[in-house]
Amino acid sequence: MKSVITTVIGAADSASRFPSASDMESVQGSIQRAAARLEAAEKLAGNYDAIAQRAVDAVYSQYPNGATGRQPRQCATEGKEKCKRDFVHYLRLINYCLVTGGTGPLDELAINGQKEVYKALSIDAGTYVAGFSNMRNDGCAPRDMSPQALTAYNTLLDYVINSLG
Amino acid sequence: MLDAFSRKAVSADSSGAFIGGGELASLKSFISEGNKRLDAVNALSSNAACIVSDAVAGICCENTGLTAPNGGVYTNRKMAACLRDGEIVLRYVSYALLAGDASVLQDRCLNGLRETYAALGVPTGSASRAVAIMKAAAAALITNTNSQAKKAAVTQGDCSSLSGEASSYFDMVISAIS
Repeated sequence: MKSVITTVIGAADSASRFPSASDMESVQGSIQRAAARLEAAEKLAGNYDAIAQRAVDAVYSQYPNGATGRQPRQCATEGKEKCKRDFVHYLRLINYCLVTGGTGPLDELAINGQKEVYKALSIDAGTYVAGFSNMRNDGCAPRDMSPQALTAYNTLLDYVINSLG
Repeated sequence: MLDAFSRKAVSADSSGAFIGGGELASLKSFISEGNKRLDAVNALSSNAACIVSDAVAGICCENTGLTAPNGGVYTNRKMAACLRDGEIVLRYVSYALLAGDASVLQDRCLNGLRETYAALGVPTGSASRAVAIMKAAAAALITNTNSQAKKAAVTQGDCSSLSGEASSYFDMVISAIS
């Protein structure tokens, strides 16, 4: 799984050389920023349920008939539960990305093939965008986490939103 | 290839859990000890030629049969191969120490090494003894207790956990080939 450290090691290995001074600088730079990432990961692990619930509410206020557009309003409970499950899934992968410091987990476990899946299931990707946009505007520094941590978190939400566009 | 961070992600994903509190604590110490880790990697890579040639010279001194005809490092060609392999092992150990995870060492160096050595007729006892000498040298360099160390400005015992981690990677090499 890609991160700054594994990329540096991969490059050093393909040249059959020991880690060089510039490799160390790259790793050092990544380590310096890691504290903020881990803070965001920790806060996310503690609050993901509430974040996902607010996103579901935002989706259903914008799309009252659900993600497929043909769900009767009175049967929305099941759709809402699935919607929340999906948001929690994405938040978990964002949590992994914050820990690893790269987009590897999101790429490998969600984004590859997601458009095809949503197309096959007749799910409007716009509904997910509505939910992630809510999350994107939901976070607040320093109420939720430090500004640097929030930047790392929002960057990954933007990455997901762009992948759905 | 994994590092200490992606290892957590892979193991959390197998149970579908978020990475929180306790799991993050070990990563936070990885970050706070980051400079020591880089110094330790630097100690290995800066002294690589010395560590390797000492280890190979060591096994030749301990077992004079190695350099005699039909010995493990008889002919310069075999000796050169031995030095090259020592450097490769040390290089992958330094990668593992940088990553904080043994996967790069296991996947790219040790996987199939025993079978290769068996096919080439490499004496595994001598090979693992050379790795053990490298292990001792690495531990001394990381903790700055080697005989030619500059003693100033180093807190004794400060890097003991890192030298222990490096030793565990050398132990993996020894158990993989012997």
